[in-house]
Amino acid sequence: MKALMSVGALIGVIGLLLLVGMIFDIVPSNTVRLVEGYMPMQMLSELAVFVAGFAGLSYMMSAMGMPIPRFWQAIAFWAFILLYLKFRVYPPIPFSVRAMYGTVSLVAVFMWMSANEDDWRKFKQPIMNVLDAQSGTNKLLRYAYLVLLPILIGGFSYNAMKPKSEEPIELRTVHPAPPASTKVHGKTYTLQTSQNPYRVNPEGKYDQEYTNANIVEQGMGRLMKPNANPWDQNAQGYLKYVREGGEIFFQNCHFCHGDNLNGRGLHAFAFNPIPANFTDPGTIAQLQETFIFWRVAKGGIGLPNEGFPWASVMPPWEQHLTVDEIWKVILFEYWHTGYYPRTWD
Amino acid sequence: MRNSLSRKAGVISASAFGAILLSGSVGNSVFADGLPEGFKKGDLAPEPAAEMIEAGKRVYFTKCVWCHGVDGAGDGPGADRLWPRPRNFNQGTFKIRHTASGELPLFDAKKPTAGQNDLFETVTHGLPGSAMPSWEGILTDEQRLQVLAFVTTQLVKDRKFTDKQSETQTVLQLGDLKPKASNEESKKRGSELIVEKKCIECHGTEGRGDGNAFNLKDDWGFSIQPANWHKCWNFRGSRQDPYNVKNIFRTFSTGVNGTPMPSFADNTTVDERWDIANFVNSLCERDPEGNPLPIDPLTDKPKINFVVPSDPVEGEIPADIENEAWQKAPKRYVAMGGQITHKPRNFVNRIDDIWVRSLYNDKSVVYLLEWDDRTKSVAEGKLPWAPTAVNIDVKEQAPKTGEEGSIASNQNNYAVYNDAIAIETPVKWKDLPAPIKPRYLFGTNDQFPVDIVKWEADGSIRAFKGTGWDKDFEERDTYEENLKVLKSEWKNGRWYVMIQRPLGNKKDQDYDEDTFFEVGQYIPTVFFAWDGHNGDAGRKMAVSAFYYTFLNPPIPRETYIYPVVIAFGVVLLEGWVMTRRANKKKGKTL
Repeated sequence: MKALMSVGALIGVIGLLLLVGMIFDIVPSNTVRLVEGYMPMQMLSELAVFVAGFAGLSYMMSAMGMPIPRFWQAIAFWAFILLYLKFRVYPPIPFSVRAMYGTVSLVAVFMWMSANEDDWRKFKQPIMNVLDAQSGTNKLLRYAYLVLLPILIGGFSYNAMKPKSEEPIELRTVHPAPPASTKVHGKTYTLQTSQNPYRVNPEGKYDQEYTNANIVEQGMGRLMKPNANPWDQNAQGYLKYVREGGEIFFQNCHFCHGDNLNGRGLHAFAFNPIPANFTDPGTIAQLQETFIFWRVAKGGIGLPNEGFPWASVMPPWEQHLTVDEIWKVILFEYWHTGYYPRTWD
Repeated sequence: MRNSLSRKAGVISASAFGAILLSGSVGNSVFADGLPEGFKKGDLAPEPAAEMIEAGKRVYFTKCVWCHGVDGAGDGPGADRLWPRPRNFNQGTFKIRHTASGELPLFDAKKPTAGQNDLFETVTHGLPGSAMPSWEGILTDEQRLQVLAFVTTQLVKDRKFTDKQSETQTVLQLGDLKPKASNEESKKRGSELIVEKKCIECHGTEGRGDGNAFNLKDDWGFSIQPANWHKCWNFRGSRQDPYNVKNIFRTFSTGVNGTPMPSFADNTTVDERWDIANFVNSLCERDPEGNPLPIDPLTDKPKINFVVPSDPVEGEIPADIENEAWQKAPKRYVAMGGQITHKPRNFVNRIDDIWVRSLYNDKSVVYLLEWDDRTKSVAEGKLPWAPTAVNIDVKEQAPKTGEEGSIASNQNNYAVYNDAIAIETPVKWKDLPAPIKPRYLFGTNDQFPVDIVKWEADGSIRAFKGTGWDKDFEERDTYEENLKVLKSEWKNGRWYVMIQRPLGNKKDQDYDEDTFFEVGQYIPTVFFAWDGHNGDAGRKMAVSAFYYTFLNPPIPRETYIYPVVIAFGVVLLEGWVMTRRANKKKGKTL
């Protein structure tokens, strides 16, 4: 038991040192990388390790005769969560979201502290001590609080009331419901039944399995399958169309959606909403190929109101590309990100 | 708070590093035989293993081929619409190096060490200001080294990284050189040296890259332009650390191969180079306190605040930028992207940001717009279409790569039109349920038109009504007398334009056509900019996203009263808690 707790304590200390290092910019915040796509699981397991570490740490401290008071345990743990969210998570999350997580974890800490009568009493003790002011230090603290609290709260409320010009918050639906069908270049496409005509095998037949087998390897640093080079002179069928789609993508789309299809193109920084990140599992990996076809063909203008058509700079690509070119680009996007399009069943 | 803490930590770690460096550099004389100051002879790296080259080929044909081309000639399908163009690897000419002018960059497939592997760092951090992204987090370290192994051995055709007969390595010892303190004296000397060393001939007297803007070509005959020292986040070798003076020192010491930018290692001392680097670094845009602008790590550009605040002034709004009111007005960075939604599309937008300040009084609101444009362009001939026409039939040039008649070779041969700037605000925005707005590009329909005020370099100011991207503008003939250009000046590569317009209200103005600027409300605002020498006219231009003009209200009296009331309430509450506790202890209940 003791050995286990020591290991826990050691992990806790190392983790804390790393976090402190990140806060002070001594350790680059991407030392241990949060990998796109795996981030939630990575964070959860990291937090689990931390909690184990803290349990061990607390056990060791009590074993050494220096127990950490309940009150400070609670405060330290809450502070840890706030700092973790601010300094560890990358890309950074906005303050409003952090405030939400902070409140939830505050409630959780309270539940933990009030789980049984004994703990709750221990937790309250320091507060009661200050209130009762039996010792000199506590007396001093009590008077300090008496003066500081009104000043602080008054200051905060002044700050909150001062007219501010913060960007208004607008909630946008990123993937609005698609229509049943869409008309592109004079032809109507039913989204439920349409298929990408370029998802074909070398014989030119529609073949989902063949194309899936040629989609790039999954994971970080996604690369084309060995011996499936779309730039091969002899590439036929699916791979040839991937290359043609890529050519169109890099002549038209990468200015916003980026060389990596991650929404960080040359012009992307100027726009709001920012261009979609296709490598994020929440975009094309979640959608049917026909949904993408509708979005590409109709662009920002084609969005329903909840999708903020007035702010989107996404062109209605039917003005610039033929239907065939649109399908090829979509083919390329799935190939390059390593995702399979969702099917209707 | 965080800044000061991290600064302290930085000082500690820097001094620790300094101690290590000092102990290591003893016996290392700065002057080696015949070498420029600060340089040292280096060794050629061994050729990467064959498996590595083979593995790199897969990386290259997945990720790089699209811009750099099958043969690495910088002619992939994306190349022709990019400016600057992707690197042609064949000749082995690379821009960002620690090696002397004309030499190959540092690359060792086994050593991904910062400062000792130029190509690896370029791939890792990307080249800000160009289309080359940062590959960190997308390709593993291993994959980045593999692809470089492939590029340096297979695609660099005219030279060989391992050829001891013809290649030398003279390496800038940037790690051992300590930057000189950036004090007034050093910056002043730097400002004199850039004149003496003729830097301003290309980079312009204010360093906005406006000198000689049309005659510069790279080794492949494509037009290029000198760097704008005020936008350090666009410095190609900034390694995502734009305010670091070492980057400028390196570029200045090694030159930029393939471009007219020479190395100054032979005719400057290290001390002089630090002075110049300090001066150039000091020119980069900073906040009013002189701190570096916060850079968004995802885009390598300054962080954006979408609210353009306008401060109230009593009486006339001053037309003089030096006036205290303008000096105190908050300055906002407005990012500009190319208009690539409708034809004619603008893939190469040369205006990538504008700076906006605003003031208002009881009658008017004034925008002060400043943006860098290397050339003052005033139309030489007539526009081929009416200025109100937006739905013109244009044939787009095919993206042929680098051949004659391609976009790249046309880059500086456009018909010159007027430089121009426009501000678009929706009319009747109060009738629209938030957050709905008319479309960012010239509005949506007749019901909710947009109000466009456009200034052009010929001195004209016009007002238009926009009712959709595909509809011609309606010119508002009678409105121009309400508009005023308080200032328009092009100086050393920068435009300064001050546009005044009425606040607009139901009493004095036509509410159905004129935007009503109400105090304390968010008025959606879009900015458009045209660079006349880039062939920008009509819809070929740079655009911003929706920003908000916000007329700052004077601080209301309640702001001062309520906090006092609240503080007093807290005192009462404290009294109550303490009495209750005391009573409880004595055994009494309330």
